[in-house]
Parts: sequence; C-alpha cells; structure tokens
Amino acid sequence: MNRIPYVICLILIFVADPDVIMAQPTKIGGSVIDHKEIPLPGANIYLEGTYHGASSDQNGMFAFETMKTGYFTLVVDYIGFNSYKEEVQLMGNIINLKIILKESFDELKAVTIRAGAFEASETKKSVILKPLDIVTTAGALGDVPGALQTLPGATMVGESGRLFVRGGHSSETQTYIDGTLVHEPYTTSTPNTAVRGRFNPFMFSGTVFSTGGYSAEYGQALSSVLLLKTKGLQQEDQVDLSITSIGLGMAGTKFWGRGAIAAGFDYTNLTPYMKLAPQNLDWIHYPVSYNGSVSLRQKSGNDGLFRAYITYDRSQSTLNQKDPDFPGGVSRLAIENQYIYLNASWLGSLNDHWSLKLGASGTSNIDNNRLDFGKYKHSLRGTNLKLVLSNRIHEKVKLHFGSEFSHKNFAQENRIDAFNNFENLELNQQLISGFAETDIYLSNKFMVKFGGRYEYSISMNKQNVAPRISAAFKLDNHSQMSFAWGYFYQDPDSEYLFYQKHLDFEHARHIILNYQRITDDRTFRVELYYKKYNHLIKFGKSDMDQGVGFNNNGYGYAYGVDLFWRDRKSIPNGDYWISYSYLDTKRNYQDFPYEAVPSFASRHSLSVVYKHWIGTLRSQFGTTIKYASPRVYNDPNQTEFNSKRMPPYRSVNVNWSFLLRQHIIIYGAITNIFGFTQSYGYNYATIPDINGSYDSLPIVPAATRFYFMGCFITLTRKGESNQMNQLE
Amino acid sequence: MNQIHNKMKNLIFAVILIVLMNGASLLGQEYERAMETAVSDLAECETIEDLQDLANVFKRIGDAEKEEWLPLYYHSYCYTIMSFMSEGDGTQMDEYLDVAQSNMVRLEDLVPDESEIWVLQAFIYTGRLVVDPMTRGQEYSFLSSQSNQKALSLSPENPRAQYMELANAIGMAQFFGNDVSVYCKEAENLLADWDRYQVASAIQPSWGKNNVKEIVQSCHQNQD
Repeated sequence: MNRIPYVICLILIFVADPDVIMAQPTKIGGSVIDHKEIPLPGANIYLEGTYHGASSDQNGMFAFETMKTGYFTLVVDYIGFNSYKEEVQLMGNIINLKIILKESFDELKAVTIRAGAFEASETKKSVILKPLDIVTTAGALGDVPGALQTLPGATMVGESGRLFVRGGHSSETQTYIDGTLVHEPYTTSTPNTAVRGRFNPFMFSGTVFSTGGYSAEYGQALSSVLLLKTKGLQQEDQVDLSITSIGLGMAGTKFWGRGAIAAGFDYTNLTPYMKLAPQNLDWIHYPVSYNGSVSLRQKSGNDGLFRAYITYDRSQSTLNQKDPDFPGGVSRLAIENQYIYLNASWLGSLNDHWSLKLGASGTSNIDNNRLDFGKYKHSLRGTNLKLVLSNRIHEKVKLHFGSEFSHKNFAQENRIDAFNNFENLELNQQLISGFAETDIYLSNKFMVKFGGRYEYSISMNKQNVAPRISAAFKLDNHSQMSFAWGYFYQDPDSEYLFYQKHLDFEHARHIILNYQRITDDRTFRVELYYKKYNHLIKFGKSDMDQGVGFNNNGYGYAYGVDLFWRDRKSIPNGDYWISYSYLDTKRNYQDFPYEAVPSFASRHSLSVVYKHWIGTLRSQFGTTIKYASPRVYNDPNQTEFNSKRMPPYRSVNVNWSFLLRQHIIIYGAITNIFGFTQSYGYNYATIPDINGSYDSLPIVPAATRFYFMGCFITLTRKGESNQMNQLE
Repeated sequence: MNQIHNKMKNLIFAVILIVLMNGASLLGQEYERAMETAVSDLAECETIEDLQDLANVFKRIGDAEKEEWLPLYYHSYCYTIMSFMSEGDGTQMDEYLDVAQSNMVRLEDLVPDESEIWVLQAFIYTGRLVVDPMTRGQEYSFLSSQSNQKALSLSPENPRAQYMELANAIGMAQFFGNDVSVYCKEAENLLADWDRYQVASAIQPSWGKNNVKEIVQSCHQNQD
C-alpha cells in the first residue's frame, strides 16, 4: 500500500500554517469614539502580538481583515486615552465593534488650582508666565518683587519697593526659597528709598506669586507668599561676566555628571553713576555693595537631589538727611548692612509611595546704622527647619504632611544720644508648626485640595489652627474656574513683642474666586477676592513710646477684582500684557484713631507691559507703563486721619537688549523716561512747632529717572549659549 | 523492505525539515516585508494623518517583535516629524514629542551603541526647542548637540548626524539673525558625499538627503 502520500499529507497538516487551510478571513470593523460620542481619528486598532490591524479614519471608522483564527486580544491605542483591550474570537466571521475610549489621567495635564496664584514655570504647561517674563520686564531691572508689581494684586508703593498685596502691608508677604522661609529678602536702604530683592532672578526656574489662599504648607503670612524654586542641575560648564554702569559681576558653573557647583561674585558701586546723573538725595558716600554666593547641587541615589545655597551680602552708604523736627539742619545717616543666608535641602523618594523633603535655612542680618551721635545695631538671626512627607495613596490622591520649627532672635543695641545712654532689647521667638493637606483629583477636570495648619508660638504661649480649602474645575480644554478659602495667621511684628510678649496671632480670612482662559498664546484671567482681618495689633498714640497698651483689637477688610490679559499672538513678534486691579480696603490697626484707608492702598492700579523682538536689529525692546490712583497719607495738621492724597503714580519705563554676538548681550534701560514727578506724601515732625503746626518734608524718590547700561558675556565650551534666556 | 523504510524516513525527515525551515524564515520574512513596505510608505507621507497611520503600523510591528529596535525607531521618527508639522500652540507638539521620547528608554536598552538612535534623540530635543525657542533655547540646543556628538563618536561618517549638526547650527544662526551662507559649502559637500555611506539594509534609516537638498537649494536662491 502506498502510504507515502497520506504521510506527507499528515506532515503537511501538522506543520503547515492552519490559517492557510481556513479559506475564510475574519473581518473586523467598527468605530472608535470617546464618552461624548466624538470620533477619534488615527487610533491604532490591532490584534496583540501580530501586525494585523488598522488606523481609524477621520470619522473614527476602521476595518481590516485577518486570516488568523482563534482567540486574540484586540488592542486600541489613542494618545491621551487609556488603552482598550477586548478578547475576540476569529472564526472567519464579521466582527463589528463600537469602542468607547476613556481619557487617561495625567497629573501634569490635569487641572490645577489657580485661585490666588500666579505661576511662572519653565516646565509646566498652561502657566501664564515663564521665568524669562519676570526677568525681561522693563523697569524691574532684574528685581523679582519689582517685576511682580506689574501683575494684578500688587500695589505700587514707590517709597518702599516691597510687595504690598491686595490691601495688605509688605510684612504680610513672606518669601520662600525651595520651601524654606527667607528672612529679610529685601536689601536695606535709606528710609523711604525703594529696596530691591536680594536674590538674583537667574537662580530660579519656577516662581509662584500667590496673592492669597495659598497651601497649608506655608504660614505666617496674612496676605501672600512668594515661592521661589531654584534651578535644577546646570548641564554644562559656563562663565558669565557682567560689566555695567553700576558694577561688575562674575559667575561660573562647573558640572560633573551627577552634580554641579556655581559661584558668583558681584560688586556694585553707585559712585560714578550718581556723580553723573542728578540725584535728589544728599550723599556723602554713595552706596557700595559686595555680594558673593555659592550654590551646589548633587544627585543622590536613584532620584534624590541635594541642594545647598549660601550668600553673603555687604552694603554701605552715607548721606545727609533732613529731619522735619530740626528744620534747616541735617543729620548724618550712615547705613551698613551685613547679611548671610544659607539654605540646604534634600528631596527624594523613600519608596514607591513615599517621598521626603528636608530643608534647613539660617539667616543673619545685621544693620549697623549711625544717625549723628546715635548708634543703632539691629540684628536678626533666624533658623528654620522643615520636613515634608508626601504619599501618593492612589493615582488620583496625594497626601502631604509635615512639620516646621522656626527660631528668630532679634536684638537691638541702641545708643540713643551722645551720653552713652543705651537701650538694649532682645527677643526670642520660637514657632512650632505642623500641616496636613490632601490633593484629590476627582477627574482630569475637577480637583479638590483641603488641609489644615497648626502653629504654636512658644514665646507668646499661643496656638492656632488654620483650615484651608481650594478647588479647581476645568470647563473645557482652555478654561477653568477655581476657588480658595482659608484662615491665615501671623506673629505680631517684633517691634511690639519686644515690649509685650503675650500678644496673640494676627488673623486674616480669605475667599477667592478665579476664572481663566488660555488659548493659543492669549490669556485672560479674572479674580474676585474678599479678605477679613482680625486681631491686628492696636495701640494708642502714646503707647508706642511708653511700651504699654498693645493689644489685638485691630480689624479690617479688603475686597476687589484683579484682571489680567496677555496676548503673544496678535502683534507679530510682539508680546504684551495688561493688568488692572480694583481694591477697596479699610482697617483700624496700630495707632489709627478709627477705621480708615491705609496709605499703602491704591483704588485703581494699571500696568501695561510690552515686549517686541526685531530680528534684523537683533534686539528686543520693552516698555512698561504704570498708573496707580492716589494713595492717602496722614497730615497731623488735619483733624481727619489719612485725609490727604498723594498725586497718582505714573511712570513709563523702557529697556533694550541687543545681541552683539551670539554670546554677548548689550542692555540698556531707563526708568521713568518722561520724568513724571513722583511724590509719596510728607514726613512730618513728631513735635509741633511754636505755632502748633507740624513741619514736614516731602518724600520723593532718590532720583527722578534711573539710567542703566550693561554688557553681559557668556562663555561656554561650545561658545554658543548666552544669557538670552536670562535677560534682565 | 528496510531500504524503502529508511528512504521513507529520510524523505519524511527532509520534508519536515524543509517545511519547518520555511516556516521559520517565513516569520523572519514577514517582518522584513512588513518593514520594507512601511519604510517605503514613509517617503509617501504628506500629512500628519498619513504619518499617524504609518506610526500605528510601526507600533504594531514593534509590539509583536519585542527584540527589534527599528520599529520603535521609526515610531519615534514619525511622531517627531508630526511635531514639526503641527500648528497652533505648543501643547500638541509637546504631546507628539512625549510619545517619540517614550521609546528612547527601550532603544537605549536594545542598541545603546547604535549611532542612529542618538541622532533620533538629538532630533527630538531640537523638536522641543522649536516649541518655545526663547525659553528652551539654551537648554535644548545643548542637549541636542550633546546627543548628536554621541552619534558622531559612534559613527563619524553617519550623514544623518552630520545633517543634524548642520541643521542645528543653521537654526541657531537664523534665530540670532546671523548670516547662514557660511554653512552653504558644508551643505553642498554633505550632499555630494551622501551616497558614499553604506546603509546596512533597505529598512535601516536612510532619510535626510532631501533635507540637505533643500538647504542647498535655498542657498542657491539666496545667492541669486
């Protein structure tokens, strides 16, 4: 019998592809849509482990055939959506599927709470500002608080230069670097002369300017917090040089794989400039300052990062000051300040769920001032320790909690006259605090954050509990609404605690509602807020001298609307933003005789910032126009308190950056180019003259205009980079 | 009888062997064929939709052939081109680049010394830069350059790496308003030498010649 043909058939059946034997292909087709029935074009539909599949067309429809048989997993992939899998049985049949995909959750793209917060970030999407924007704003001259004054919520108080937010005094705003508190973030200056922020804006990759309703992680600020995040690892070796009309600077970075170190030194001497440009103040020694800083970053372990930063600042100046109590006479005021700040932090994950952040900072600020025969040495030494633990309980739920210890030592050694009469004061304040907060993403579109903060002041022997709630809801792809509410507490000013230790915390309650829409390089944002103050420090007029009578009976309110519009598209190569604030505020605190508008509030504030790039000239031009309605000030010759008004604040600032070479930038700026007269009220005598009236001297800025020119050079191995990213 | 039996066994053995071998190389051939078709379709792509469909094809092949690097490479390459072609604000561009970047970890695992994957990485970084040159210029031009240097150190003759270096330099010069004609000679030389580089097979990366042609053309236009 010839079995060969049978055997061969058997073999062929065993080893041959069974698919080839089945003649019928299976047809798979259908549609791919989302939960709103909107078709998804370009989705990838295929049988897992095979090449067989198809893409969906413009209508979300797809169809393909396969000769495979048996059970397979059908996979459907689409960018931004969770992968879909379904088991199918291929038997030469027709399979029709309606596939509904679910949007995937990505925290980076999910809604975030914007109420009360202006964030500038290099990495996050849908932020209104990039750090570059802060630094290139005309009139700011690279001063972070200065640039933030063009954002809604910040009131322009020219004689101070600090951040006054939504009817709150500048002391109600705190600055944090990498999560730890910074004491004295402003330079020291002569009275009624604007200060500047101490920190170089180039250091920061992220800035959050919170005008209220901020997280439970931060406290001791009745109005707002400024959160600065230092830059990550510098990727290459670099040397930066700067030669300007007011000084010289040099900085270098060395990078070694897992870490980097950067060091900088700045020398500022206003002598040559102030001799040329007319000044309103009578200087004896023009301001001179030195600054050195070192910053270190080192990766540790898998994903840990250790950061350290230390800065040393020394400045001095001397001038003749007129005193309204001694008309016709001058006092010689010499200012000397020495400031050291250091900050170290470590962050990283402990395991899959837990991550830890440890931070410590120390500040020493010593003012050594002399006024004629008086010698005033004021020092502040502060230490802060902080620990934060975060746990990702679930893809959509995060928990943070932590604790903080803060110690402040204030000391004053005042020699009040030529007879060696001293007044020594010392104060130690310790604060222990803890907080817990949870972020819950109910969906990509809706998130809620709630938490609380507890503080105990050892020196005052008082404690407080502050609840905080906020929420954000995404209305559509481009717009969202958010809401924030909370209690905020702050230690009374050390001035008062010197005399009376057992005061209580000052308190504010915020409620904020925010709407923002960001499309295609245009941003619109509107925010409504209401603040209620309680337990503010109050005292009678004479109590300040006697050191008694301080209490927490002060109160106040602030409400208003902030508007912001930014357009980077309409004008080719142009970028502008307009910010407007309406503020209505009154308070009865300190020595106010009754509830009145404070002098640091403007009813209307308007800023227009414009930047334009001209490629053929290799230049960027910028201008800032500011207007603030008249602020009130008190004239003791009047019966009504805070009844006089300063003229409105107006200024137009311009700047120009020119790329001489790829690595050399020439920069020029003029503040108040049209020379508008700024007047900030009057300094009144403390004792009336023979006629019973109080003499006064006008408060004016140090100079009508400020001119600045500088040349910035960046040297790297490749010689290609420059400080274009860090235009000031 | 035994002789016939032995012959039978040999025949059966031989048949099984032949069929099995064909089966095995059939699978290999399936991969080669699918890749060849897909790679030649790449030249025909004109719109983002075309590229999306082709990227999907590469993804399927890549998912089925877990040890092959080329499907992943082309998947990323398609998404990178899509990012350059997209309009509007940068969100869509970044999304495409996120997908392109997501394959890099596996590619580095599979073929860390393959020059082409480092050219691809440099290309992705350049894509990031283009989304927001003012903010990302310094960081990403450095990262792109660094990856490309790695590609050149692994294969100094790789014309795609040479093209990437040239394109980055031209882009930077244009942004700062510098004269780009200094790069024309280099572009012409690169075009002339392009075909000297032997591509290992029909499915290995071979793109870039048209891009260099465009540079040379615009050089000649500017000269006239």
